[in-house]
Amino acid sequence: MTSAGLAPGDGVLLRAAGLTKTFRGDGVPVPAVRGVDLSLRHGEFAAVTGPSGAGKSTLLHLLGGLERPTGGQIWLGGRRVDGLSEARWAATRRRHIGFVFQFFNLVSNMTVADNIELPALMSGMTRREAARRREELLGRLGLSGKAGLPPARLSGGEQQRVALARALAHRPSLLLADEPTGSLDSAAAASVLGLLRDAHADGQAILLVTHDARVASLAERVISMFDGMIADDAILPAMLEQAHALPSVLKLKG
Amino acid sequence: MPAVIRWIRSDLRARWAQCTATAAVVAGVVTALLLSATLLASATNPWPGLFAQTRGAQIWLRLAAGTSVAGLRSRVDGVMAVAGPYRVAPATMVLAGVKAPVQVRAMPLAQPQVGRVLMEQGRWLDRPAPDGVVLEASLAQAVHAAPGSRLVLEGLDGSEVPARVIGVAATSDQGYYPDVQPGLMWVQRALLRRVEPVAGHTEEMLGLRLASSAQTGFVVQQVVTQLGSRAVLSVSTWQDVQRSMARQYPLLGLLLAVFGLVALGAAVLAIATAVGGRVLAQLQDLAMLKTLGFTPAQVTGMLVVEHAALALAGIGVGIGAARLLTMPLLHGLPGLPAAVTPLPAGWAGAIAGGTLLGVAAAAALPSWRAGRVRPVAVVRYAPPRGRLSWLARAAMAARLPAPIVLGAHAAFLRRMPALLTVAALAVPMIMMTVGLGFWSTLDDVQNHPADIGLAASVTVSPGAASPQQARRLIAADPQVARAYPGVRATALVPGETSTITTLGMGTSARPYPFHVVAGRLYRAPGEAVASQGLLDALHVQVGEFVRMAVGGVPVIFHIVGRIIEPEYGGQVLAYGMDTLSEAGAAAPPVFYSLVLRPGVTPEAARARLLRASGGRLDVETVANPADQLGVVRLMMAGLLVVLAMTGLTCVFTASLVGARDQARDVRVLRAMGLTPAQVRACLVTRTGLLALVAVGIGAAAGLAVSSRLINLGAQAYGIGAGIGRPPSAAALATAVILAVALAGLVALVPSPQAASSALTADPALA
Repeated sequence: MTSAGLAPGDGVLLRAAGLTKTFRGDGVPVPAVRGVDLSLRHGEFAAVTGPSGAGKSTLLHLLGGLERPTGGQIWLGGRRVDGLSEARWAATRRRHIGFVFQFFNLVSNMTVADNIELPALMSGMTRREAARRREELLGRLGLSGKAGLPPARLSGGEQQRVALARALAHRPSLLLADEPTGSLDSAAAASVLGLLRDAHADGQAILLVTHDARVASLAERVISMFDGMIADDAILPAMLEQAHALPSVLKLKG
Repeated sequence: MPAVIRWIRSDLRARWAQCTATAAVVAGVVTALLLSATLLASATNPWPGLFAQTRGAQIWLRLAAGTSVAGLRSRVDGVMAVAGPYRVAPATMVLAGVKAPVQVRAMPLAQPQVGRVLMEQGRWLDRPAPDGVVLEASLAQAVHAAPGSRLVLEGLDGSEVPARVIGVAATSDQGYYPDVQPGLMWVQRALLRRVEPVAGHTEEMLGLRLASSAQTGFVVQQVVTQLGSRAVLSVSTWQDVQRSMARQYPLLGLLLAVFGLVALGAAVLAIATAVGGRVLAQLQDLAMLKTLGFTPAQVTGMLVVEHAALALAGIGVGIGAARLLTMPLLHGLPGLPAAVTPLPAGWAGAIAGGTLLGVAAAAALPSWRAGRVRPVAVVRYAPPRGRLSWLARAAMAARLPAPIVLGAHAAFLRRMPALLTVAALAVPMIMMTVGLGFWSTLDDVQNHPADIGLAASVTVSPGAASPQQARRLIAADPQVARAYPGVRATALVPGETSTITTLGMGTSARPYPFHVVAGRLYRAPGEAVASQGLLDALHVQVGEFVRMAVGGVPVIFHIVGRIIEPEYGGQVLAYGMDTLSEAGAAAPPVFYSLVLRPGVTPEAARARLLRASGGRLDVETVANPADQLGVVRLMMAGLLVVLAMTGLTCVFTASLVGARDQARDVRVLRAMGLTPAQVRACLVTRTGLLALVAVGIGAAAGLAVSSRLINLGAQAYGIGAGIGRPPSAAALATAVILAVALAGLVALVPSPQAASSALTADPALA
């Protein structure tokens, strides 16, 4: 899958510098994200892990414009986005960002087909293009027969697959996934993760938040958060082997 | 835009029941408003309706006899068709002692194509009745003539021609008698020749139907030029007629307009709470839409557009329904002109536009709040929590069952929505109570006509019999309890241009039992009672003296009381007949008002009197004005249904929001050991309590204002304050119980779902 709209430039799709977010609960400031620096390249698949309350989901919401940062900067495709108005952020999400949540969050009064076509239509596709894209995605996810059903009639795994299709419908540059397998049984979780891997294989940049190390191990890069800060940012060996095997051998020889 | 449309379509499909209810409420309100407005328009400005139905002529020319009008149509631009020329003669009509100047107009037996008449009673001129005449409706009303009445036509030369009324008809030719004199009477040619044998003494009437009413002035000029100013004796245009027909009809129109507007207000409130409720219920979806890239303005606009579209659908249905119902409901309505005036486009447009604006405004605030929902995936909407409310504490102190305590606590947890719900429910309840008050007032008027001055239910005039015979026949009738001789005389008040009706009823020693609401009845010659309308018109009060010329004789009246008077436009002065003889204007009684013995129907008494007199007496039953208001009852019933619908929409919304609010609590309640039935009871208590408070407030406020509002209306109409009755206790109790029971039932709809579904995995609440 190719990312639409955002020029590769230096290869960096998303960059955050000194990102902070402090919530105010009962007048007491509660820092959730404390000075995060992060960058994600086009087509990269990174997982953010950490214990509960580490600030993973808040970071994801900040990067997708769902929350407004208290401080720091965010660039998306080389464009500064942290100061955008809510409407501009909405327009940016419409074109460049797809979201998957733990609780699927399908729009309850729309059918499966409408849920998937909605972001496609919003990104400017014609109705015919949106319908074609929806058919293609549902076919890939094995849900072709369920297009006309309301979300409530689907199982959790099916709902999450529809949510994934919806996140990919408008061919976003960046897919932000917040605990996408958190409320699924293992079989459904495996199926959703398989789909994420397929999307990545097609070139989709993914930032995945999870507290599950096994899920995180799917990614080529794992960022560990603790107390609102990045504790570790590592490229996984397995991925290293695949990605850099030949150059390493050459290096050894050299 | 396609995305917005897609979402609106999906939402309409998913919530079709609620959407249909919204559109139905709007449709009901629009129908009610349009019907009331049509009624008002027909009553206040009957000319357009009459003009359309009679294919009327815009211009009527009175021409000298023998004026040649041949080829006028081709000679004058803009004239589409002509009516006549019809030969006319002036005459004086004498009916039961009352004289009225009339224009006798000779007409063909077949109604013409242009300038037809609209029969209200009886039939058109025909060959079997050469002495038959058809009276213009306002003239017939003014002289109390109906088909069957016998009259005498006095020609200019003093000749007397007897004639018989065979029909009463409305026309757009001329304004109402007695504002416009002479009155209009249609006769056959032969009869006209008997009234005015000299052809040179007659004149001719010619009607011109124009292509466009706007050309009237221009055409008049052209016609006068063509025919010569000598030939044209006078010209009357449609503007003159329309002006003369314009009437104030405050009571009915006011009442219906107030009801319609309040229904609109109630509907707007109901829609505001409904939109507010659905926004609360759909927060999750709305947040997700924003995550997907909907801007705040798009979310707000989408909701406003959706509700405006529902309103438009409702308005369309309402306009259609009003069109379908106008003829069957309003046509031939007693007390209204024969023709229903089509509602001016401006009025219909204002009603449609106002409704649309109202709904859009109602939807705007909650929609704006929806636009401000944060685009965060999981919205936790916890209602404000705090100490147990005083209501709940009171319930607990009274050792009421737990579900009731919890329901009572939840009812006012969200203060603003609770207040809105109570207000939105109380308003329709107030109007329902006022409506019931109006209903019981009508019942009272119908069952106790004496309370509005209609103690007598039969009026007898001697007719073909002599006054002595009439008196003897009445005295001999065992069904008659009392008989009061009466005389009707018009009077001129110095300084006033219009005449008023005065009634000599009974004598000072034995006055007619008017219903006196202030002061007392006349007891001595020179004393009189007056109705509110007359007091207002003369700017006098009870206790003052007025001087007027009755039948040409000046009389000074001391007004000693105010009576309720539903007829004569509420302008009447009544006194003992001996007042007239003392003043030197003695007149024999022209009618007798009969009070019947209990249990005797007016129809039976009339039949008996007619039989006894061999048909020589003229016996009329007194029409009760409440009988004419049957259609108003029908419309009020329709409005009550609309009000009930708006109320129930509010209840449904309130219970929906309540179920969402409490979904999280429901788990805890179940965990604490409450059975599903108890959980349901808790949810129903919450909504039921809001409904109970609102219904209580509404009924109390309605009770407080109902009689006052009705009296105010009656006062404005001239009948006078004093007829308003509070709703009957039984009716009000039934309404309250029904309202609360219905509210409880509606509250039950979402709660079983809520009670069970809240327990299934609702991840947002995990």
